[in-house]
Amino acid sequence: MRRLTLGVSALALAATLGGTAAFADEDDVTAWRLFVSDHAEPVVKVIDALDGDLLDTFKIEGPATLHRTSSGETVFAVQGAAGEVHAIKSGIAFHDHGDHGDIDVDDAELLHVHIDGTKPAHFVELQGNIAQWFDGEDEVRVFSEKSILDEKLDVRKANVVAPHHGVAVPYQNHAVVTIPNPEDASKRPIGARVVDFNGNKVGEDLACPGLHGSAGSGSIYALACDTGLLLIKQDGGAPVIEHLPYASSLPEDSSSTLIGGKGLQYFIGNYGADRIVVVAPSEGENGFQLVQLPTRRVHFAVDPIRAKFAYVITEDGQLHKIDVLAGKIAASLKVTDPYSMDGHWSDPRPRIAVAGDNVIVTDPLNGKLHLINAETFQESGEIAVEGKPFNIVAVGGTGKVHEHEGEQGHDHAHAHDHGDDQIYKGYFEDAQVKDRALSDWAGDWQSVYPLLQDGTLDPVMAHKAEDGKQSADEYKAYYEVGYKTDVERMTIDGDIVTFFKDGKPLKARYASDGHEILTYEKGNRGVRFIFKKVEGDADAPEYFQFSDHKIAPGKADHYHLYWGNDRAALLKEVTNWPTYYPSSLRAKEIVEEMIAH
Amino acid sequence: MTKLNRLAASLIAITFAGFMPPAQAETDKLSVVASFSIIGDFAKQVGGDRIELRTLVGPDSDAHVYEPKPADAIALARADVVLVNGLLFEGFLQRLVEASGTSATIATLTEGADILHDPNGGHYHYSGGQAIFHAAPNDPHAWQSVANAKVYVQNIARAFCEADKNGCLTYEANAATYVGELADLDVEVKQAIDAIPAERRVAVVAHNAFRYFERDYGMTFLSPQGVSTESEASAADVASLIREIREKRAAAVFAENIADARLVEQIASEAGLTLGGTLYSDALSPEDGPSPTYVDLMRHNVNTLGKAINGG
Repeated sequence: MRRLTLGVSALALAATLGGTAAFADEDDVTAWRLFVSDHAEPVVKVIDALDGDLLDTFKIEGPATLHRTSSGETVFAVQGAAGEVHAIKSGIAFHDHGDHGDIDVDDAELLHVHIDGTKPAHFVELQGNIAQWFDGEDEVRVFSEKSILDEKLDVRKANVVAPHHGVAVPYQNHAVVTIPNPEDASKRPIGARVVDFNGNKVGEDLACPGLHGSAGSGSIYALACDTGLLLIKQDGGAPVIEHLPYASSLPEDSSSTLIGGKGLQYFIGNYGADRIVVVAPSEGENGFQLVQLPTRRVHFAVDPIRAKFAYVITEDGQLHKIDVLAGKIAASLKVTDPYSMDGHWSDPRPRIAVAGDNVIVTDPLNGKLHLINAETFQESGEIAVEGKPFNIVAVGGTGKVHEHEGEQGHDHAHAHDHGDDQIYKGYFEDAQVKDRALSDWAGDWQSVYPLLQDGTLDPVMAHKAEDGKQSADEYKAYYEVGYKTDVERMTIDGDIVTFFKDGKPLKARYASDGHEILTYEKGNRGVRFIFKKVEGDADAPEYFQFSDHKIAPGKADHYHLYWGNDRAALLKEVTNWPTYYPSSLRAKEIVEEMIAH
Repeated sequence: MTKLNRLAASLIAITFAGFMPPAQAETDKLSVVASFSIIGDFAKQVGGDRIELRTLVGPDSDAHVYEPKPADAIALARADVVLVNGLLFEGFLQRLVEASGTSATIATLTEGADILHDPNGGHYHYSGGQAIFHAAPNDPHAWQSVANAKVYVQNIARAFCEADKNGCLTYEANAATYVGELADLDVEVKQAIDAIPAERRVAVVAHNAFRYFERDYGMTFLSPQGVSTESEASAADVASLIREIREKRAAAVFAENIADARLVEQIASEAGLTLGGTLYSDALSPEDGPSPTYVDLMRHNVNTLGKAINGG
């Protein structure tokens, strides 16, 4: 279904459109997904942005406007006409570890929870809290992204006086809501106020007539109106609203739609049909820069990766790269046929999203997405999409991947210090596997089996049960089989390994006997590093095999161990994997480490 | 240089007209950007009036939650030298450097310092009533050791010398004088802590920024661990800290200048301890506060610890 534009270097294309999980460098996995709605049909398509494959088509109730959360774990399909809001789990999740982020890639999933009401419209997400506005209701609904992902929707409501086309910004115990026009609620709101979820107003109303349009940038959320921007900040308790008037140097006009910078704190608003204004709130009156466009604006989006750029598509079909610092158009490229802004506001017209190296532009009347390389600003490919692809959001990024599935798919927790562990759920190249010396496991190690037995690990099991796949008791039973051992302690010092079995030491010298790569039923793989007895106590095992989620030299932070006298038989053992953590760790620290991931 | 890069560079050059007030136009001084206030003070000590300094994360501010401004990117683009802590302290830095397209030397001041590995893989910040896990395999708060502060200063002198050879003698002389002051300070801190009875040298803070202080001066700092990043310190987490406070007979609980005090107030009241004052962890105070310089900061912290513990 993918057609490539000829004329661009085939190699560059191969690099751009590499595959579902392209290895940017040896440790990194990059995944980007596009969620595309149709102008007329009730569907959301999930497309792999890297190879153009259609991954899923979700049927919903009506044509949707799409929103993604800042985590990217959830995409919301707001179906104004159908009175329905659906949530889609994007299947891409990141976990920050400071020196690197981990990426988890699973199938996208249309979640069972949905929110129905009269005329759902503006959607705002801030730090995992979501405010879904309904133009036909006098209450805004606020809930957490977590409650959506857990499919245990817990909605709080805040009063907005009368149904109107407004917006709410959610905070921990408050929401900022628009104030309807008291003479005619069908007109634009006249300002904003802070309310809590018990029907109380907090502080004074702030006037901001003709309010429409909102966006967040870092800790500031902004609402646009006729006189300037309302800037909302939270400092400890309730949010605080300030009014930032448009600079006196600007021509008479106002913004009614905003986008907010990622990585740099700025906002961009429309300012008349063929101009945009870049706002740096920290610079006050001096923080406004007007950018003239060649024709009327159709849509705009910020670049979340190359922080100083944003993109605007205009009705002549040109995409413009805006240098936010300079307040100038840095480059322009003709991408689509003209889409006139004459006609109905909701006619099908292009929309923009940024996915990794590419800016993606929907071209609804030609049934395709255009991919434009953000650096070279040349078209790098296109993806055909049936129907009228309209709204689009992109989710993804680059992260490290780990063998989370562990042996035979047990959901394994591991320490924060991943070292050079880079295996993607057990998918790796044979060439990446390197033999390892016993010194990788040097130290004094304790079995975690006693901690499982005495209940110390119960909080870990409870934490695992939060995924809803198994109960804490079921997990505990599973680990009971996995962890079970009578070797409560091990020391590894040079080539001397001591097993403490019921308190008695069994000591022997061991030498490397290579490694074996195992393929599990699920198709993922693991590596066993094997050591063979050279001399020592007769009862010490002839062989033992480490599995610690690493495939090349690196210090183990914990390991699973298999031992016995039959090398081949051990390779088949996949249900019992006695597990060891450093003896220096206190029980509490082990619990923390297991939960931490 | 590609055509596009040239275009981008020329665009950065004209940005003055946009966000920068004209008063900050270029001078013949060495243009230095410091990532946060403590490094800013070190830069002032070494650079004196030969440098023009811009500090990104200001007094009483938490670098962990800092959001760079377009004007910061412009300042970086113009800078000759950018001074940073490193060890993932400045989470915002990489994107800011990329956005600015700066060609300045970026000097990582913890290079060569005696660095502590963090067994927990990071520490918690408390901001707006929420616990935020700051993942970092090595503890970034290295300036809490005065011995490390000397390394910062020497690294600054080296970076300034490379960027401005004519000023090198001045930078080296300034650094030597200041390192001397720091050596005295180090002795002073050690003596002050030694004066606290050994069994009373246990303090409680919300954000564990004092592990270097602990290592170098023999204080123990307790702080909540394993608090969920998605909620306030849960009752159970605080309860285990309270037990630890009782076992180790912690003497006092301290607030921090970069965080709101609600969590430590809760801990203090549950542990039956009083708040012993405010420690300066990751930022200086404003000019009119008690810790406008690094030397003031260390003195203030030691005095606050001593007073609260010996007085209580």
